[in-house]
Parts: sequence; C-alpha cells; structure tokens
Amino acid sequence: MVFHSQERLQPINKTQRVTPGHLTLSETTQSTPVGAGGGLAVGTLLLVEEDRYDSYSRMLLKYFLAEGVVCGHELFLASARDHPDEIMQELPSPIVDDVAGMKISEGQSQPSDPENPDTMKIAWRYQNQPRVQTALASSVRFGHYYDVSKTMEPELRQAAKCHSFYQLQETPVTTESSPLPSPYHALLKSIQTVIRKEGFDGSTPQSKVRNVLRLGLHSLGSVLWGDDVCCKDNPAHCHALTTFLYALRGLLRTSLSVAIVTVPSHLIQVEEFGNRAVMGRIIRLSDTAIALESFRGSEKEANPLYKDYHGLLHVRQLPRLNCLSCEVPDTKDLAFKLKRKQFTIEHIFTELLSSALLVLTITAGEQQE
Amino acid sequence: MCCRERKLEDSYSFKVTSFQVINALNPSKPFYSGECVHYMCRCFQILGEDVHVLGFESPETQVCAGLDSSCVQKLHFHEGFPDPLGWKCTSSFTVDQFTSQHITQLIKDTQYAKASVLVVDSLSLVLRHHDPVVICQRLQELRKGGVIKTVIGLLHSDLHQQGVVGIVGHLASTVISVAPANNERHGVAKTTRRTKSGKVMQEEEYFSVSEDATLSVQAKLRQPGHVQKEQDVSEADPTSNLTFNLRLSEEERKAKEKVALPFVFSQEKKSALLRPTPGTGRIMYEPDANDDFDEEDPDDDLDV
Repeated sequence: MVFHSQERLQPINKTQRVTPGHLTLSETTQSTPVGAGGGLAVGTLLLVEEDRYDSYSRMLLKYFLAEGVVCGHELFLASARDHPDEIMQELPSPIVDDVAGMKISEGQSQPSDPENPDTMKIAWRYQNQPRVQTALASSVRFGHYYDVSKTMEPELRQAAKCHSFYQLQETPVTTESSPLPSPYHALLKSIQTVIRKEGFDGSTPQSKVRNVLRLGLHSLGSVLWGDDVCCKDNPAHCHALTTFLYALRGLLRTSLSVAIVTVPSHLIQVEEFGNRAVMGRIIRLSDTAIALESFRGSEKEANPLYKDYHGLLHVRQLPRLNCLSCEVPDTKDLAFKLKRKQFTIEHIFTELLSSALLVLTITAGEQQE
Repeated sequence: MCCRERKLEDSYSFKVTSFQVINALNPSKPFYSGECVHYMCRCFQILGEDVHVLGFESPETQVCAGLDSSCVQKLHFHEGFPDPLGWKCTSSFTVDQFTSQHITQLIKDTQYAKASVLVVDSLSLVLRHHDPVVICQRLQELRKGGVIKTVIGLLHSDLHQQGVVGIVGHLASTVISVAPANNERHGVAKTTRRTKSGKVMQEEEYFSVSEDATLSVQAKLRQPGHVQKEQDVSEADPTSNLTFNLRLSEEERKAKEKVALPFVFSQEKKSALLRPTPGTGRIMYEPDANDDFDEEDPDDDLDV
C-alpha cells in the first residue's frame, strides 16, 4: 500500500484516518462491535460468504453501494445473474434529517381544520413536527443510515458514477495465455482498465480531489461465472477463483479502492465433496472474511435463543494490515437482524444461557432431596 | 378446478421467471413427475399461455392426454422421447439442441410473437450429457432472452450429485421438492420461493394427482411438536368489573367535549404561532460513545 507522508497527502473524499497510514471507508452497519473497527480500510478485500438464499449478503452489497453513492465515491458493480442496473435500482434510500423541509411544506399546504384527523386539539403546537423523531439521521457520525423499505431516488443514484460488468453481455475472449477462464479474465481486465483510466492508482496528476473506487462483485464462484468449483469435486479450473482473488487484491493494494466479494460457499462446501481446502484458500486470500448463516429454512429457526434474530454472523478472518497481529474480539458469537432502518449485529450470550440452565437444574435437584 | 390452480395464478402475480420441479422420489415411482408435467400443462393452458414442452422422457400422448382440444393449439410439444440423443434421427428435438439460440428459434418459428412458457421434461437427461456449467449458463440466457417468460424444469435429484442439484436449485427462483408421503396415494411438496427483494417463502403441502390431472392439495403439513398458537381472544375490557364507574354515558361524553379548554386559541393565532420562524431553538444532540443507551438497562448499573 503506497501512502505518502502526512504533508504531501491530499484529502480524499469522505475517508477518515484511523491509524497512521490507514484510510477507512465508512461502513453502514454501525452497530458492529468487532471486525472492521468502524470501517473498511482502503485497499482491502472483504469476503462475504452468502447465506443460503442470498438475501442478506445481497443486502450487505446494496448497503455498501448505497454508502458509496451517498459519499460520492465511484462504483464498480459486476454480476452474472441479475443485471447490475437492476441491483442499483434496489439500493435502499438514505435517511436524511429533513424536518425543516417538511415543516414548511406542511404549513403551507395543509391548514389545520377540525375535520382533519391530524389536527391536534390540545397539543397543537406539535402538529407540524414529524411523527417519529428520527434520531438516527441527526447524528453526524461516520456513516449513514438507510431505510430498506424505500429505494433510493433515481436522481441521487444517477449522480454517482457507476461502472458495470454484466457477464451475460460480455463476449467470450480466448485466453490461451491466461491461467484464468474467460469470464474472470474479462472481469479483471475491466477492473484494471477502470482503475487506470479514472486514475485511482495515482497515474493522473493530483489536481482534483481524489476519490475512492468501491467494487462490488456478486456471487463469484457460481456457475454463471463459468466456474465449476460448485458442482465438481475436481474442477477443471480449480485455481480460477483463487488466482482471480490474488490478482484482485494486488490491484486493490496499488490503488485507492475497496472491494466486497460475495461467494456462495454453501454450494462450494457441499457435504459429498468432503472437507475441501478451496474455501480456506479463498478466505486466506481476502483481508476480512465473514459468513452469513440465515435461520430461514433451518432447524435453528425454532430455537428460542435465536428468536429475535435473522441469522448468525461468523467472522472467519480479521484483517492484519501493516501489523503482525490483529485485535481479537472477546467473543465470536454474533447474530444479525435486519430491521427497516438498521442492520444490527449483536453479541448473543450463549454461555450465559447455558450456565443459567445449569444453575436451575442444580437447585431443583437440591430441593427434591 | 381445485384450489391448487388458484395458487398457480397467485404465483404468476409474483412474476416467476424460473421455476423448477425437483423430483426427489425413488425411481420406482416416477408417476408423480409425469403427472406433474401433465398437470402443469393443463394449468398454463387454462391461464391462456403458450406452452412449449421439450419432452425427452414422456411421449406426447401421455402429456397431452385429457387436455381440451381448444387448448391443444397453444401446446407445442417437441418430441424428443423415442430418441433423445439422436441415434436414429427419429426425434424432432435432441439433447444436443438444448441451446438458447436453438430454443429461441424454435419458439419464434412456431407461433406469433408472445412470451411463452417452456417446460423441460426433463433437465436430468440434458445434464447427464452436457457440462452442468454450460447448461446453467444456457438456462440463464433463456431466462434473460425475453422470448420466454417462464422456464420450468423437471430434475430427478437422485440421479445427480448433490453439487449439481444445488447449483440448479440456486439458479431457480422457485424450487418445489416432491417426495412420497407415508400414504402411497399422496405426495408431499416443499416449495421455496425467492423474491427479488430477498424475501423467502416456504410452504409444505400434501397433494395427490388423480387420473384426469386434477391436483388436490389436502392439507398443510404440520411440524411435529410445533404447537399452533390459538388466536388471541378479544382482550378483556379493563373498565368492567370495577367498584367505580369509568365509562361515559352519551350525555356525559357530549358535555365533556363542550368544555372549553385553556390555551385554546383562535385559528389565526394558532397558525401565526405555528409558522416557522428562523432561528427557533432547536436542540442538536449527537450521542457520543458514553451515551450508548440500552433500553433494558437504562441506568447502566446491572451487573451483567
């Protein structure tokens, strides 16, 4: 990672200096107590193992891209299944503090009258206040909040510069000299072209405010990328995905960019293939790796311990950037819940519950005697 | 018509773009799969859709048996059954012709331009003779091509590796797994449907298909040990059974509403006060790290 000394460094759009030499991007999952330490470091790769039906991993990808739009970063979105434009249209809408705007418009258009059910009789001074106080929006902490039930305004979305790569529309290129199969090769080439052309690797002069490129790569390793790692025990291109990730991380380290890659690990780590090393290799080739396990459709859905959550979040790897070891969290029992305005990740106290049960059984035994 | 067909119409409103029937039965009882295909064709015809069937496993007579003659026009059967691999060159459609270009051309040739339904009976045969990666890519091309609205594929999951079944299931937006129930006459169907927004809906039902392709859905399967909660009875009225009276009679209510409240201003004064003035005292509060409120422990003094 190339970082100049403090004096020469220009401010880079919407990033924060956490430790000397590290720039981090805001991450929208504000309540995560562990892992990214409040953000994703520029030049790193975040690997997300998809949940079974790709609902929450897709949501994380959309949060990542939406944060990029709101911060004014450039985006690169690659997908093989749904067209990138379709994914962009599903981005959640940011929550902005718009109370002042609402007040003025309401005062003019809606005169209070007795027939109007919204008119308050006694507390009429609070009539024009918003019904729900959005305390979330008033905070100016690093990062933003999003409302999942609404999609982002097209004007806001189109203001962001987005490069897309849709595997179905790419013409296959013969790649005899490359160790990668055609789709991965084409994707890597496309990313490299964008980084060079837009100057994220420092090739253009530093006259304008430098920006960061956010890359979102959806469902790498699935069959639609031409990869057979999911369906065969001895795939023909067994090193395709690992080679791609290795090359991608090289590109990220030498440019101002961050990537999030989702992988359908439940299809790769199938029972009949036994314990495969490929998933371990994929994790080692990323900086941060998390896995989402949704409760939907599994027997854990009926477990009372998990009734308040939508799934478990497993931290497979934490980043070790410019240091030998990383901060190890106290506990790795994390569960997530997708609420309308927040994606919360919390510790769940499995030890506490099991020890409480142990105490109860002991006392019951004593009383009987 | 039975209730199941109404359900199919409902599923149409979800814009199913790729739909699958997975047969998880043992091979000695293949009749469920054939009857499912037969039933599916009948349903789509009732809905007025153009149906193209690539039949590799069942002959046309079996699939089209019992269908109304008026609907037969909209059913286009591409016979692959007697010779699916084209050894004797007697079939009109072979497994090798399962490409997006060929199928799209086939559909465009046979009818006026309208997005239609493609039923593949079965995908297992196609997957056994071609690379699963290539077949999945072709299915994706068909789905996004625009000529075909819905693709329905039948897959015998006991004939493939778990990996292959997994990737085909992952590609589909709806998966129905069919298996025999304890009772021989019935089967159990587990449906998993994914919407674009990420919602997943799952259902499990008993069904049986009769001779004339009528599908009847018997009952929803209940999980053993899963207690069905009774509907909450209407809440007890808290103002009853008290020693004092908390209710209002009609006259009392009217008198209450007539009482003049203090600080009730005229409409003009209210609007004048409500008009936003610049620089009203607004409190800007930014919670810092110490203000991490926990609703269950507001005083932060529980020794957890």
